[in-house]
Amino acid sequence: MLTVKDLHKSYRVGKTTYEVLKGVSLEVADGAFVAVMGPSGSGKTTLLNCISCYIPADSGQITLGDRQLSDLSGDDLAQVRNRQLGFVFQDFLLLDGLTVRENILLPAIIGGAVSGQTEARADQLCDVFGISAIAGKYPAEISGGEKQRTAVARALINHPLLILADEPTGNLDSKSSRAVIRSFEQARSALDATIFMVTHDSFAASFCDQVVILRDGVVWQVLERGGAERSAFQDRLLDVIRDMGKE
Amino acid sequence: MSQFSQVCHALRRKNWRQYALLSGCSFFSVLLITAYVCMMRSPTILSVLPEGGDSRKQVMMVFVLAVVGCAVFTTYAAGLFFRQRSRETGVFLALGATRRQLRAELGKELTALSLVSCAAGALLGGPLAWGVWQLFRLFLVDSQEMALSFDPQSYLLSLAFAVYVAAMLFFLGSRSIRRTNIIDVVQESHRSEPVRAVRSWYGPAGIALLAAGGVLGYFFPSFCIRTLHWYPPAVLEGLCYLPALAGLYMILLHTVVNGWRKGHAYKDIISASMMKFQGRQTVRNMLVMTLLIAGGYFASFYAPMLRTSSVYSFETRPIDYEYHWRDDQSLPGRDEVEALAAEHGVTLTSWAQEGAALLGTDGYASIEQDNGALGTTYTKEYRELLTGATFFSEGAWNALTGQRVDLAPGTCANVLDDEGGSDYLAGGDITLVTNTVTGKALSVTPVEPLRFTMLLGSYVLDDADYAAMTTGLTDLWRETYVFFNVADADGSYPFAKALFNEIVDRSGPEVEVFNAWNPVERDIEIAEAGSYRYDSRAYLAEHGLSIIDYDDRDSSEFRTAWLYMPQFRVLDRNDFVTTMAVYLLLFVFIALICFAAVIVISFTRCMTIALTNARVYDDLRRLGASNAYLFRSVRGQVSKVFLAPSLAGTALIAAFYVMIMYFNDNRFTSGELAGMGVCAAVVGVLSAVLFLVYRLTLRSVCRTLNINRG
Repeated sequence: MLTVKDLHKSYRVGKTTYEVLKGVSLEVADGAFVAVMGPSGSGKTTLLNCISCYIPADSGQITLGDRQLSDLSGDDLAQVRNRQLGFVFQDFLLLDGLTVRENILLPAIIGGAVSGQTEARADQLCDVFGISAIAGKYPAEISGGEKQRTAVARALINHPLLILADEPTGNLDSKSSRAVIRSFEQARSALDATIFMVTHDSFAASFCDQVVILRDGVVWQVLERGGAERSAFQDRLLDVIRDMGKE
Repeated sequence: MSQFSQVCHALRRKNWRQYALLSGCSFFSVLLITAYVCMMRSPTILSVLPEGGDSRKQVMMVFVLAVVGCAVFTTYAAGLFFRQRSRETGVFLALGATRRQLRAELGKELTALSLVSCAAGALLGGPLAWGVWQLFRLFLVDSQEMALSFDPQSYLLSLAFAVYVAAMLFFLGSRSIRRTNIIDVVQESHRSEPVRAVRSWYGPAGIALLAAGGVLGYFFPSFCIRTLHWYPPAVLEGLCYLPALAGLYMILLHTVVNGWRKGHAYKDIISASMMKFQGRQTVRNMLVMTLLIAGGYFASFYAPMLRTSSVYSFETRPIDYEYHWRDDQSLPGRDEVEALAAEHGVTLTSWAQEGAALLGTDGYASIEQDNGALGTTYTKEYRELLTGATFFSEGAWNALTGQRVDLAPGTCANVLDDEGGSDYLAGGDITLVTNTVTGKALSVTPVEPLRFTMLLGSYVLDDADYAAMTTGLTDLWRETYVFFNVADADGSYPFAKALFNEIVDRSGPEVEVFNAWNPVERDIEIAEAGSYRYDSRAYLAEHGLSIIDYDDRDSSEFRTAWLYMPQFRVLDRNDFVTTMAVYLLLFVFIALICFAAVIVISFTRCMTIALTNARVYDDLRRLGASNAYLFRSVRGQVSKVFLAPSLAGTALIAAFYVMIMYFNDNRFTSGELAGMGVCAAVVGVLSAVLFLVYRLTLRSVCRTLNINRG
């Protein structure tokens, strides 16, 4: 599904260059729910932004399905973002001038493919994520959790190969966080979605099949949940994070 | 909603305030510039502002200022618009919109926006100028000269500005979607633009640079001309003011970033930090406002200054009526004047009539050499016969002026104004006088100048010398001067008007000339080149010099430039406003445009503070800030937007004006002092208007932010 090979990315601030990603490589299998964790500054969000092609990488390869993203033109990249990727941002990035339903439909509208089927899917997504009652409301009129569930529904409208989520629970209370994670699980089980999520939240990460831990711009550890209970996996995650702090 | 254009339409509806702000700013800029251009290029105005003259240069200077101001202001509004829209653009890009898609929508939007706002501004600019001018005519003053007509070509300049606005909108719009880093696009609206650390010496150094630039800019041309014998190119003269502009920028930077008050570091922390992090835009806006305020004051000082100093000069004339003629003309003498006076119920209380002579004088000619882009250099060359001037015998002088002058034989006195000034207009010392008819010459020694404004620039000789030098002069070289008073000078306007008309009617075409026409220079030029430039109307028109026409006897050009223009106090005083109406009201119009621009810019700037910082104020409220605290913070910002440019602009123009007045002839005349007093009153009134706008703006910002003063 997604393969990242030897990815490098640095930023220049004034005369100083900060190397954020120092050769990250990883793989995400079809239908997997993968989290990326790590301390602040470890390169999590930069990795996600490079995979999304929001920011250009310095070197390395990103392959989505059978397409190498670095080879694509601007229009082709836009098409990949629109058709094959779905995004969930920490601060939702819903458009205030559109209703919940219109926000959900936005990727389809941008792609020029709104049919009766698409509208039915939007209604289905509203139903799945429990936001049908607020479909006609504007973002300013709904709660943070509802906004994030709207963002998840929007990410799924075009049947993407992969959902990329950046700290999707970062701005939410615990109840809303659970609802969002539940929506990811529903997306995976009901809609066969593959999810790649950056998070600080070990609770959210404990729902994943695999957790990639970044440290100083490289993959430090990859933890597989296997058949473990969620709470046991969360404990394991916390132990690893604690150990990382000791080193 | 199934199409991208419908989404954009919905978002436009939601964000109508942003669109309205940008459209309003573009419309207003084009409107102001069009109105200004229509007025500046109007044949009505051009016919009274001599080409190359100071008034036309000043109008052009303020126009450039207004164009720069409106351009910066519109660019600021556009920058703000695209910053606020960047989140939407980022979301569209993130969700897979192509840049082509966005460009197409943006193109449609900007085409409609720039077409509507620029076209409306350009279309309404002319009617606005016309309407304001008609209001002036209706309520202030009207004259034949004030009939306004527009030159259709002026719309080309307006079109050029509108094209700039549209091109700038498209450039910034296209730049906003061209960026490759989508995250940067999304976060653009949250990005602040901090000004780099500003050292504490910026303020004082700025003041020093400002003063140095002002002095350098003002004195550089006269230094070049007098000392280096070089007329520098106008561009170089303008460049000399650049240190002043840099100084002004530093002062405003220091004001915004550091502030001038020491202590209470935390008192204004919110407003100071907000201002600081809107850095460049804030300072740039303030700089534009400062220059526009200075330009507005400069224009608004014109009318009171001219009116006060002119009225002062009329009132201080010791004689009610003065007129003179060349002796080959048949003008009314005492009997006819008394008869005309009797017709109008006016009684003459004194009469003095004396002869004068037009004699040649020596001096230094400037031989100019054009050096192309490097300007013009000149060398001084002594000529025994350089130009001509009016000469009086000491007897005639004493009879006319009532003074008791007794000059030694072989001496000659130049005449300055009543206060011993205006030497730059007076001709200066001479050492050789020539009778151009007989060729007889007399060496003279210059003595202490005499004072009499009404005869400024003439010379006085000892009686015997005068008699000897004027022997053999024909009537073409002789003049007669008449001074008389009447019993009720203030009530004698109809008589004055009738006598003026009589004088003009009886003057022949050979004296239908402007005041730089000189019979001695004419003879010299004809001898050297076969013709005299100032005899050619085509030459005068081409060089923007005054063309005298007896049919236009009430025009400002005729009244200020006819060589034989009488000096009737009551006529000059009563007709002053109508004669100078076009000048006076043009500058009032310019001042109106500048202050209108200042008000709109400052209001927009303050409202954007409210719009962009609404969240900060909500956060402060959540942190427990009281209404009083929030109000103080808003007032701190709004007052800075108004106060700093107002103070800087007013101080700048006051210093510049005082400098101009003083260094004209190294003193303040009584008329100038009176004029400056009136200008100070104008500053008071306009400052009160700006204060009122400040209060209304503050109220409006507080209302937008839900801050209750109480």
